[in-house]
Amino acid sequence: MLKQASTVGARNGRPRTISAGQQALKWISPAGIVLIFVFGYSLISLFTQSFRYDGKWVAFENFTLVLTDPLFQTALKHNFYLLFTVPVMVFLAFLLAVTLFETRRGMSFYRAAVFLPYVLPIPVVAVVFGQIYQLRGALNIFLTAIGLDGFAQDWLGEPKIALGTMASVILWKEVGFGVILLLAHIISLPSEVFEASRIDGAGFFRVHWSITRPQIMNTIVFFSVIEAITMVSWVFNYVYVMSNGLGGPGDSTLVSELYIYRSAFSNKAPELAAAAAVCLFLCTLLLVVAFFRIQRRSISGTFGR
Amino acid sequence: MNSRKNFIIGTAVLALLLTACSSSSKDVSTAKKITFPTEDLTLNISWWGEQEAPGATKWLEETMALYHKEHPNVTMKQVLQTTEGLVPAFEAAAAAGAGPDIQYFWGGIYAQQPGWDGHIAPISDYLDAEELSHYINAGVEEGYQGKIWTAPWYVNPSFPLLVRKDILEKNGLTTPANWDELMKVCDVLSKKKITTIAGGVKDGWFGGWIYSILGGQSVQSQKDVINAVVGNTSFTDPEHAGWWVKLAESKTHKCWNDDINSLELYQAQQRFVDGKAAMTITAGPDAPNFAKKAGGDSNVTIMAMPAWSDGPMAGKMGTTSQTLGITKWSKYPQVAADFIKFGHTAERLNAWYKLTGSMPADDRFDLTQVESQSTKALFESAISGAPYLENFIPAQLDAEAVFKNVQLILKGSVTPEAAAADMQAQMERLRKTDRKLVDNFTAWSK
Repeated sequence: MLKQASTVGARNGRPRTISAGQQALKWISPAGIVLIFVFGYSLISLFTQSFRYDGKWVAFENFTLVLTDPLFQTALKHNFYLLFTVPVMVFLAFLLAVTLFETRRGMSFYRAAVFLPYVLPIPVVAVVFGQIYQLRGALNIFLTAIGLDGFAQDWLGEPKIALGTMASVILWKEVGFGVILLLAHIISLPSEVFEASRIDGAGFFRVHWSITRPQIMNTIVFFSVIEAITMVSWVFNYVYVMSNGLGGPGDSTLVSELYIYRSAFSNKAPELAAAAAVCLFLCTLLLVVAFFRIQRRSISGTFGR
Repeated sequence: MNSRKNFIIGTAVLALLLTACSSSSKDVSTAKKITFPTEDLTLNISWWGEQEAPGATKWLEETMALYHKEHPNVTMKQVLQTTEGLVPAFEAAAAAGAGPDIQYFWGGIYAQQPGWDGHIAPISDYLDAEELSHYINAGVEEGYQGKIWTAPWYVNPSFPLLVRKDILEKNGLTTPANWDELMKVCDVLSKKKITTIAGGVKDGWFGGWIYSILGGQSVQSQKDVINAVVGNTSFTDPEHAGWWVKLAESKTHKCWNDDINSLELYQAQQRFVDGKAAMTITAGPDAPNFAKKAGGDSNVTIMAMPAWSDGPMAGKMGTTSQTLGITKWSKYPQVAADFIKFGHTAERLNAWYKLTGSMPADDRFDLTQVESQSTKALFESAISGAPYLENFIPAQLDAEAVFKNVQLILKGSVTPEAAAADMQAQMERLRKTDRKLVDNFTAWSK
């Protein structure tokens, strides 16, 4: 980044120089103050509580209890497994976006249809899919009707596949967001590049893999990171509604947010919930930092600096 | 550097001020036995609704209106909670130190814990011992070191097995008198692709019921369970682990509907009413309604789970009462107590039965008005019933060991031994995380 400086005033007859960093700080300080006001107390309170039990300082005891809890380990493991949904989601979003881009007629309708799941409230989606995925639900009835009854499963009742089933619902709902993001970027790209590549004989896949994909990489990265954060810390609603707040069957769909919620409210252990929340916060922070690093590198690459 | 230091100090001061504000709101008056207020006031009741006692809403509305008529300065309002939200909503209110004046609780540990946490005032501070002595299950479930935390509202015979005679007769079977006979019924009906017992464990609660009606059969009393909770015995001991074997046995004999893991309890129970299952287990207050829908006394037998053990509680109906407690932050605890007492007047007790078909938790209730013989027998069995086991273990153990392992056993994913070992492991862990648990349970058992 270029270092800039400006002369904004004079003291003792000498002009005062403010660096670009200081200037940026001035501009973002109002928003920063609001953020500190909103989140500052919550974070301080969270961190404080994670080191206390019954008002007494217990150092890292709560963290030890949480990190050695097999349930919390299971919950984190499930969040990690859910991260594998992200590449699938990004691939599907990209595929649907370029398909919609190439669709000449009815694009608005298809775009709305793809985006619709994203605007539906999660509890509604979860309740509907909860019914569809029952052993005697619509999906198994359909599979049986077309002669594929061998594929019928107890989708949400079988511990081995329940998390995958839940991931499919999250994927169905979230992919629309990616499609709209990517499509908006694709539409804004200069059409000459596409025309030139087609004149050179590039087909559908070649055009979009070699021409479109690199140009929208920033948006792809953005979507990937947003969805990664979603999988780590934003799937509570799906799990809560679809498993009736249990993370079951067994603990097959337990995720870290549900663990925190249960610790805080059902199990009356706010100090353990705070310790788990701090762990989750740090995990999410890692993803955010990674995102900004990738974004900065990507912008530098784009502008050749 | 100075500005950073100032910022940190400023933030710390702000945090301290906010903390001080939040803790001062928790300081509520502990004054008791003050005179009945004459100023206009509003009492809020947070409760569970009529999920297990249809008609309860109408009764509460009537009771609130009648009480307002007697005390025009008192206005009552109600807030409904879901099953999953009942405890968390109260915990959130307790954390804020503000919320309802009267809170609905399930019995036993669900009423004890808020008392131990200082979120409710003992009802025995506001109602005299003679009055409370009539409230069914108050002493066993809500008593703690000479005090009684909450006031039983209505009785929950826990939990009756409802048997459809028509389905059994059609298949050449009779009502099973013991566990082995029940397994034989399961064998016969499953071969004909008929569900013997309809149940749903997706929402977990049914797991707790099963624990109580099967697990209760091999212990001598609820104190055995508390002993395992505090660590004097183990949940892997035969008297605590035997029921897992019986549950697995029922799975082997295909007693349950095959989609039990993907159905919620209430969804599954409907199959009994629809004639698609020979038996189901219902909430006690709702059992008469279920029986009526399935043909009444002539077609439905209401009974305790057939015995698999010769323990003192085997084959005996469990009993618990759903209760009402007065929150610590209520400004008018004496009015709240008076309202609860008003609900136990003879006219209100009779109205409860007329509107819900279930039994109010009061031994002054006149049983002669109950016409159905099976309902009467159910009520009588609940008055002298066995302690309801689920209410004597920590709620966390219930959810994280019982609910979970019942789901897994019924799916065939774990062995009974593994389920018992997991329950014990969860209990050991819980003793570490809840650092007051052993003291609280030990005091409760005395």
